[in-house]
Amino acid sequence: MDVLGKEGRQAFGLRSNSQVGLLLFSLVSLILLLSSLYAAEASVFKKARETALEAASPVLSFFSGPIAWVQDRIGDVGDYFRVLEQNKALREENAALRQWEEEARSLRGVISALQELDAYEQPPEAKPINAFVIGEANEAYAHSMIVNAGADDGVKSGFAAVDERGMIGRIVDVSSNAARILLLNDVQSRIPVFVEGSYVEGLLVGRSTSRPAISITMLADADKIAPGQRVITSGAGGVLPRGLTVGVVDRVNEKEALVDLSADYARTRMVRILSYEFPQVETGAAADGEEGPVDAAVEADATPEPATPTERAPQEAPGASPQAAADAPEARAGAVPPDAAATDEGD
Amino acid sequence: MSSRAENLARIARTTAPTLLGFFGVLLLASPLRLFEGTVATPILPLVVVYFWSLYSPGHLPAISVFLIGLLQDLLSGGPLGLWPAVYLAVQYIATSQQAYFLGREVHVVWMGFAVAAVSVSIILWLFMSLLSATLLPIGGLAYQMLTTIAAYPLFAIIFGNLHRRVIIEV
Repeated sequence: MDVLGKEGRQAFGLRSNSQVGLLLFSLVSLILLLSSLYAAEASVFKKARETALEAASPVLSFFSGPIAWVQDRIGDVGDYFRVLEQNKALREENAALRQWEEEARSLRGVISALQELDAYEQPPEAKPINAFVIGEANEAYAHSMIVNAGADDGVKSGFAAVDERGMIGRIVDVSSNAARILLLNDVQSRIPVFVEGSYVEGLLVGRSTSRPAISITMLADADKIAPGQRVITSGAGGVLPRGLTVGVVDRVNEKEALVDLSADYARTRMVRILSYEFPQVETGAAADGEEGPVDAAVEADATPEPATPTERAPQEAPGASPQAAADAPEARAGAVPPDAAATDEGD
Repeated sequence: MSSRAENLARIARTTAPTLLGFFGVLLLASPLRLFEGTVATPILPLVVVYFWSLYSPGHLPAISVFLIGLLQDLLSGGPLGLWPAVYLAVQYIATSQQAYFLGREVHVVWMGFAVAAVSVSIILWLFMSLLSATLLPIGGLAYQMLTTIAAYPLFAIIFGNLHRRVIIEV
């Protein structure tokens, strides 16, 4: 049955062949599907995904430019009608933020004092890599985003991705110029989290709901979780840094707690990928101790007993602990201004 | 010279539906976020596959459908083979009911698309639930499929024009 009655169009496959092709390729799809049931993260599939990511990223970047432009214009028009209420809301937010700023400043003072009390070694700071969202899986059961930063920018699989509101997900596939973020509400997403206020640790499990509500697998003190408590990353397992904002507990039922994510995936345009590696215990620390025998003595005195720092506090705190600064200038670079550290070393 | 141009034009015509399918996949992978993300992105490749399998199957062979689905799987990071299976199922539904649909009124064809979309949604939901070992919520998928079904007439008009003016009338 040749519906269209043109022979010239047979170049791309005869009508009679198409049933065979349909059957053949359906079979291929099913085989692929079955194999991905058993080995979803097989290296061949991963490689294929990463190659596709690399090839598609220039095209997606090309697409995302005009899309962002149009979205900006549409957003602007909407804003004109809401400018008054937005202004009011912003003023209120500003006032609230100013209070927080005060509190943050005072806390910073407390923290720097505490750091000086002891030869406190800061956890390694996560180095951020900025990227734009150029792609998104607009599917019901796949929640991921593609960003325009890849292995060339230092992105690695497993890094956390945050936006200005909080954590959005974790890098799963990396090509040279692009990377895929698995969002927190994807069914495959599992993130170790900590609930502030109830001290419960658990796993945040994505459930593919359109509203980002996520269940926590409960541990011992489950009944202490209450709505309104903040959820942050726990850093358990050493894959993610501790303390990234994830969301707020929304509802608690007998089996799980649903979390309202801080991230708003419909508004995520720029993300920050945190390159974080779990602090390793290095043999270098021991070598440092042998270099300076005087410092080693002080350290040996300070580290094992938690009581000593408080005793030493009055003498050490004003002097900005010269030994400690000289000990590990790299580690303290964040806490002590560089020039101060330099003068200490000069002394 | 003119024969080469004709050749190129012919190739462009024969591959147009396939390219349109790839374009649909790329559009689906873009952060479109219609109306600030309140409207789900229609699954354009689904419309492409249904439309061309019905009206001109010769222009969209099974391998094209397979590749369109595979690209979508690769870009979304889902299990490979899922969308090829879905699109090939749609192609099967369209080609097997072709004799019934051709020559019918437009809204009958539209209903046919709705039936096809609902059937593949069930396949999709079943498989993804099986893969994640839980019963997944069906709301998001239903919403996206409804958006796609609602958007079908618009795409059908565009594709119909393309089909009549560019691909058939040489």
